[in-house]
Amino acid sequence: MLLTTPAVVLHAFPYLESSRILRLATREAGVQSVIAKGARRARGAQRMTLDLFVEGSAQLYLKPGRDLHTLGGFDLTRTRPGLGADLGRFAAANALGELMLRFVSEEPQPEVFDAFVAALDAVAVAPPGDAASAGLQGAWGLVAALGFGPALEACAVCLAPIPPDADATFGHAAGGVLCPRCAAERGGRRLPAAARDDLRRWTEGLPRPGALDVGTARAHLRLLREFLQQHLHDGRALRAFDAWERDPNGG
Amino acid sequence: MSAIDDLAAELARLPGIGRKTAMRLTYHLLKQPAEQNRRLAVAIADLSERIQPCARCFNLAEGELCAVCRDPRRDASVVCVVEEPADIAAVERAGEYRGTYHVLGGRLAPIEGIGPEQLTAGALSRRVADGTIREVILATNPSLEGEATALYVQRQLADTGVRVTRIARGLPVGGDLEFADGVTIAQALQARREMA
Ligand SMILES: [Zn+2]
Ligand SMILES: [Zn+2]
Repeated sequence: MLLTTPAVVLHAFPYLESSRILRLATREAGVQSVIAKGARRARGAQRMTLDLFVEGSAQLYLKPGRDLHTLGGFDLTRTRPGLGADLGRFAAANALGELMLRFVSEEPQPEVFDAFVAALDAVAVAPPGDAASAGLQGAWGLVAALGFGPALEACAVCLAPIPPDADATFGHAAGGVLCPRCAAERGGRRLPAAARDDLRRWTEGLPRPGALDVGTARAHLRLLREFLQQHLHDGRALRAFDAWERDPNGG
Repeated sequence: MSAIDDLAAELARLPGIGRKTAMRLTYHLLKQPAEQNRRLAVAIADLSERIQPCARCFNLAEGELCAVCRDPRRDASVVCVVEEPADIAAVERAGEYRGTYHVLGGRLAPIEGIGPEQLTAGALSRRVADGTIREVILATNPSLEGEATALYVQRQLADTGVRVTRIARGLPVGGDLEFADGVTIAQALQARREMA
């Protein structure tokens, strides 16, 4: 079956003498593994630009029941060289790509693909040295598109409203903020009102006002990692995410 | 039958060799004189014993230093930084470059768990710190990961005062230095730019 779909390169590695194996995020068919035969050697019109995070229209020959499909062509529509021009952007983009690789199946999830593409676009033009904010916005946007958006305005357990200016407790298992009574029973991580406001904006696809200092960025990344571990995780380490958390602005 | 299967299985691990080709090679070897097969086996065994990373530049070397580092005609004050030893062969094919090299051993690839600690960037900084190097040319692949790696190395060297340049585009984006032709590499070296 031939499928033409918007796609983004998530991972590429050489295969045999001159081919590449790619993992693609596609709009119509989730995340797919494909082989681009002869891609490393092709010249001129045969050449496909298959760099990390480039976007294009991919022609996939999908064989039912197989893990590896064939990439017939890839017409480039967008490159994001900005992702390589700042180490913080590079770290954030790789962490986002890893979330796609790990948490998106072969099922079509167009809204997840769209959230991913929007996230890459935002990270690619984030101020140098301050890409963590755009990356976090993108990651929470992905989490929300995957259907795991956290409860932020009312208690995740008893639905009691929590005033916007109040500090709260974040309960990972409950999937969001907790009122003082439920927090006393269940425990959780303290979430200052300002951090909760950041989360609210990010899950709604809005930027956070002002730059994010490294300490706050790390605290946000820790919260996100714990949340991912609780809701999406398969137990394997998230290597790109861990590198991002260690060094949110890429040194 | 297991000796045949064992060899075929080993051969099939090599790049460019599928199961069928591995079987064909195995049957070919079976027809060869035993002495010839023994020489092949010894050559393969010697390879990993005799070839090791160059103590200076991490190129492949027989002995402590590689052929480039041992050659007194090479300009040791210029260092061309590449991802893999195969990239050195590509730059040498271009025939323009008279300096020396530094092999990083890969590129930054967070998804594969490859960070700065997995590369030889620290050893490069120490090479530069001793003051005899006046220019470092960053010739990592013209890919997103190659660009980020070049940027990382440049940051590491920023305080040393050494001149840091980056080979020019003209190499296809997302491409492999290893597969670029000599003319393209020579042009990219000539048109290298300062990294600010
Ligand atoms: Zn409650
Ligand atoms: Zn050497």
